Order: sequence, then C-alpha cells, then structure tokens
Amino acid sequence: MRIFDLTLKDLTQILRDKKSLLFLVAMPIVFTLFMGFAYRGNSSDENADTRIPLAVVDPEPESRLNKMLLSRLDSSDTIRTVHLSEADAIESLRKSEVAGVLVIPVGFSEQAEAGKEAQLKLIAQASSSEGQSLYQLLRVPISQLMSAVEIAQISAENNANEFAPTIELAWSKWEVQSQRSLVRVEQAAAQETSDWAGGNPYNQASPGILVQFAIFGLVTSAQILVQERKSRTLQRLMTTAMRPWEIVAGHLLAMFTLTFLQTAMLVIFGQLVLSVNYFREPLGTLLVSVALGLWVASLGLLIGVVAKEEQQVILFSMIAMFLFSALGGTWFPLEAAGGAFAAIGKLLPSAWAMTGLQNILIRGLSLSSTLLPAGILFLYAVGFFGLAVWRFKKV
Amino acid sequence: MPKAIEVNNLKKSFGELQAVQGVSFSAEAGEVLSLLGPNGAGKSTTISMLSGLLAPSDGDASIMGHSISREPLLAKSALGVVPQDIALYPDLSARENLDFWGKMYGLRGGALKTRVGEVLEIIGLSDRQKDKVGTFSGGMKRRVNIGAALLHKPKVIIMDEPTVGIDPQSRRHILDNVKLLNSQGMTVLYTTHYMEEAEELSNHIAIMDKGKIVAMGTYRELIQLVGGQTRIDLSVNIEKERIIPAWKTVEGVSQIDSTNGTISAIVTDSNLVLPKLFETAAKLNARITSVEIKEPNLETVFMHLTGKALRD
Ligand SMILES: Nc1ncnc2c1ncn2[C@@H]1O[C@H](COP(=O)(O)OP(=O)(O)OP(=O)(O)O)[C@@H](O)[C@H]1O
Ligand SMILES: [Mg+2]
Repeated sequence: MRIFDLTLKDLTQILRDKKSLLFLVAMPIVFTLFMGFAYRGNSSDENADTRIPLAVVDPEPESRLNKMLLSRLDSSDTIRTVHLSEADAIESLRKSEVAGVLVIPVGFSEQAEAGKEAQLKLIAQASSSEGQSLYQLLRVPISQLMSAVEIAQISAENNANEFAPTIELAWSKWEVQSQRSLVRVEQAAAQETSDWAGGNPYNQASPGILVQFAIFGLVTSAQILVQERKSRTLQRLMTTAMRPWEIVAGHLLAMFTLTFLQTAMLVIFGQLVLSVNYFREPLGTLLVSVALGLWVASLGLLIGVVAKEEQQVILFSMIAMFLFSALGGTWFPLEAAGGAFAAIGKLLPSAWAMTGLQNILIRGLSLSSTLLPAGILFLYAVGFFGLAVWRFKKV
Repeated sequence: MPKAIEVNNLKKSFGELQAVQGVSFSAEAGEVLSLLGPNGAGKSTTISMLSGLLAPSDGDASIMGHSISREPLLAKSALGVVPQDIALYPDLSARENLDFWGKMYGLRGGALKTRVGEVLEIIGLSDRQKDKVGTFSGGMKRRVNIGAALLHKPKVIIMDEPTVGIDPQSRRHILDNVKLLNSQGMTVLYTTHYMEEAEELSNHIAIMDKGKIVAMGTYRELIQLVGGQTRIDLSVNIEKERIIPAWKTVEGVSQIDSTNGTISAIVTDSNLVLPKLFETAAKLNARITSVEIKEPNLETVFMHLTGKALRD
C-alpha cells in the first residue's frame, strides 16, 4: 500500500511539471506524424521493384511446360521476368539491365515430356550477387517442374491420357507446398526489402517513435530519483518504516506506469488516427507494451541511481534514447542497414520491442510471435534492475 | 520500563576518520536530552545511526527497547526524525507533504486527515497549508520539516539542529514546540551547538567533541565541573596571536582561546587574575579595549573541558 502511495506521489510530481506533458504526449505525436511523412516522401523509392530482373527467351510460349514454368516465374516475389528475343536478351545482360538470361530451347517441352534429355540454359553474371542468386532461385522451380514431369511419366506408362492431369496435379501440389514452407521467410524478407512498411508508412513510424519516446520520457520521470536524493527526502524515507526494496519498487512502478500510459496513448493514436493495426493482436501489443515499460522503467532506475544532477539525467536519457533508437532500428529497419550494424542492433532491447510490434503490424504474425521478444525484454528489465539495485546499494 | 533511548559504545568510521568514537548515553522516557557540540563533533553521525541511515561500525543502540540493528522497523516506527537539512518536496504543498509522510508512517483516511490538521496547528501553518513548500521562508520550511516527523505521534523524536539559520520568531516557535511535545510525553533528543537552547530545553545535556562525549549531566552538574571558575572575555588593540601566549602563562589562567574578535579565558579568581592580565598587556604595549566577566555557563564548561571556545 505504501508502495502505491510513493508511486502516486511520484506521478503527481511528474505530471505537475508542464514539461512532462510536452515530452510524454505532444512530442511523440508530432514526431510520429513527421516521421510518417518522411517515409511517405521517399516511399516511391521504397516501393520500387527490387526483384531480380531476368530475361526469358521463350520461343514456344504455348507449350505446356513453358507455360507452367513461366506462370510461376512471372508471379514471383523475388524475380522479375522480361520476355525478350535471344539477341535482345544478351544485349540487355551486357548492359546490366537484367541480371541473367534464361533460354528455353526450341522443343524443350516436347522433349522433356517424352523423357528425353532437355536442358534449360541460364546465362548470368557470375560475378554479381544477383547472378548468383538467380541460379539458386531458379533451381527450385525447375527441379520441381522436372519431378512433376517424371511423376506424370510414371502414371502415363499404362495410359497416355493420364499424363496431362497428373502433371497439372503434381505441379499444383508443388505450388502449394512451396508457398506453405517458404512463405514466412520469403514474405518477411521480401516485404522488408521492397516495401518494409507493409503499405502504411506509419507501420514503421508509429512503433519506432513509440519505443524511442518511451526511453525519452525518462528525461522527466527519472529526475524524481535524483531530486529525491538531492532533497534528502530519500534519506528521510529510509528513516520511516519503509523497507529499502519498497522504496525502489515505488519509484520503479511510477516510471513503469508513466511509460505504459504513454505507450498506450501512442498505440491508440496509431490505431485510430494512423490506421496502424495494433489491435489486430491486442494481447500481443499489450504484452510487448508491458515488457517495454518494465525495461524502460528499470533503465530509468539505473539512470536515476547513476546520475548526480538533474542535468545528467537529461544527458543520460538522451544518450540512451539515441543509442537504443538508432542501433535498435526504431528510425529505419535494421534489415535496411545490414551488416555488423544490424547484427549488433538486433541484440538490443529496443530492437526486440520493434520486432515484437512489427511481427504484429508488418509481418502479420500471431500472439505467439510476441512471446520471445517480450520475454527477452523482460530479461533485459531484470538485468537493468539488478544493475540499478547494485549501484544503489553502493551509494 | 525500557529507556526511551539507549546508546551503547556506538562507533562510526569513514575510512581513516573516526567520526564517532564509542559514544554511550541514555534518555529516560519523557525527558529532553540535548547533544551539544561544535561543527564536526559527530552529532549528525550519531543521529544517523540512531535513525537507521548509517550502519554503526561498532556498538548498538535501542529506541523504546528495540535494537536499531536487530529490530530496525520497530525502532523506526517508534521514532520521528527531524533531519538537519530540510527534507521535503518543494513542488508539493505543505499539506501534501504532511499527507505523504503520514502515509509513509502507515496512517490512512480520516485518521491521517485529522492528524495532518493537528500537526499544521502545532507548527502554526494552517493558513499556508495549500502553498507549495518551495515558496516558504527558511523558518517555515523548518517548521514543516519538524511537522513531518510528528504525524505518527512517535514516542521518541530526534531533532538535528532544527534552528540553524532561521529568524528569531521561527526559532522561538520551534523551541516552544519542543516544550509542548515534551509536555505531552514525547522523549526528545535535541542536537544543537547553541548552548542557550540546550540550557533552556534540556533535563540532561551531553557535551560532544571530536566524536566523544566529554561530559554529561544536568545543567547544574555540568556547571559544577568548572568548580567556581570564571570566564573573562577580552578585546585588545593588537593581534590576538601576540598576546594569547603571554596570557596563557599567567598564574590562575586555566584555559584561553579566541573566537571572532574576542579572547576568552577561564580563570580561577577574576579578582586576582585580571590585574595580572592588564600588567602583561602593558608589557606588550597592548591596550585592553573591553573586559567582560561572565558567570559560569555551558560555554565555560565546554572550554574548561576542551580548551576550545564553543561559540560560532
Ligand atoms: N558520509 C561521510 N563521509 C565522510 N565523512 C563524514 C561523513 N559524514 C560525516 N563525516 C565527517 O564526520 C565528522 C562528524 O560529522 P557530523 O556531521 O556528525 O558532525 P556534526 O556534529 O553534526 O556537525 P554540524 O554541527 O556541522 O552538523 C566530520 O568530520 C564530517 O566531515
Ligand atoms: Mg550535524
């Protein structure tokens, strides 16, 4: 009970300070809108087709196997096909307009169906990564096509009429199979590189600002701890019958409450005003928000314990905000940065918060996909809390 | 019936510095005990240990029979602490501050409200209760600072120099408050370096210097320690440093020290010693510009015991 009284006192003090409302409410909303515009501004770039261009030389577009293969390639997420004559295709490749040329020889379909050796030819820039990727990307559908042919041949051994329905069936099975097994990876990867915002620029801006300002809010809320120490009221608290852990818990709860309320406000704002679909998985959003709040509160506790002056609280909170925001992918997706930057960034608690929210918003995943991010945030919270208590005991 | 406060060979070191070097004293329930000593004597350090803020390096103490090391929560519940520095929330009003501290001592609801009203009366700030403490004068802050320790009607209250640097009116108010609380049965441990306060308020006085209690007793008992000696305060028209060594050797001078402009000497018999002081001054071509012969008081006692003047 006394813990809540302490929490309530903290909240009264924080909210009585006019600056708090600016930092906790006005700024994040303005920044969300601003960042959303910024992303929208260059979303024409982001929406640009980043699939690998492949020239296809298809002299017999009406034959069965050609049709089957091309319908698959034409609708690919990863390959963009351009139908050209062989000469034009080679010219395009030379100009690097395409990353490779797939040549389907004349009579390919017929020979393959008859069980004779029929080979497709891929001319790709071996030196470029796109050329390398093409080989990998084409291997799957082509080998699936060939195995469909083999299956059809087996069932047509007795009755030649069986060939057509069997190959259609086999091929469609592969299609379903490939979508089922590969869809997650492909979708996630594809959407993050081509249109990582999932159609709504606020899908990045809203959770990004939400995480960033959760940390930024410490600029005011962690002040309380320093003020408590400087005004000697902390000492006085320790002369009452409050136990030390109750004092720590009361302050932690105040920072958590504030962070959580701010997050809730930004979630509702995102949902209602910006159509960012947090409510698609309300429990998942709640879970990530609570875990984020706990981590931020324990970070605040640590800052409040380490800082000696109010100015230092502002400084440390800003450093934490920039560090965790920039490295943790709240400004732009880590996938877009790539390399060691992304590898390190992905470990940060802010990145896990983003992952948790974007699993819901962009990747369209379910509640269970937020369990791991929330769990890791929670572990971070415990770690930071331990660090803060350890520092607190030393002073 | 346990003693209200019992302190047993309490010690505290900060690294090399032995701030409190084995202090023992006790206070009966219902009395005012003053801890009198100059800056740095170790008063606040002793009090911090009593109120559970500092762990003693050695020794123990108890409040209403509850050991501060073994039953800290019980000891703390029986105790109200008025810290030397103002420990309040400047951005909250006087009432909000008292309300909060009342809750921290476990008061709630109607009882809390009534008690906060009572305390506001005691400290004489009912009419300013809605104003933020940050806007108060030093004296008013000090009064709220005291009020915050009274809410749970503690059996024992410890006040650490509650009258430092405030106007005479607030000081009078606080001293009257101490007497009032004591008359209601509260045991008071009062630290100060103003001997008049100690003299006015206390049943017993403990004189502390350099981490040790140098004397303890009633006012009368302490005065008797100087054994009929008198204090003479003198001013001269040359540097004090030149004349003090000369006066120190005069027969009948037992202690001599200086604070501010004046030189204080403890002498056995002023009638005999005073002419000799004039003689010595004349030899140094110094003129004595003022002389004051004082009845023995706590200042005399402190000087007699430590060789130093207490006054600031
Ligand atoms: N936390 C600390 N760390 C190191 N030294 C300390 C600490 N607290 C007090 N001291 C030292 O211990 C000695 C006693 O200090 P204390 O505050 O108890 O004196 P005091 O009698 O209350 O003096 P004052 O009248 O100035 O308040 C001083 O020399 C002081 O510098
Ligand atoms: Mg002191």
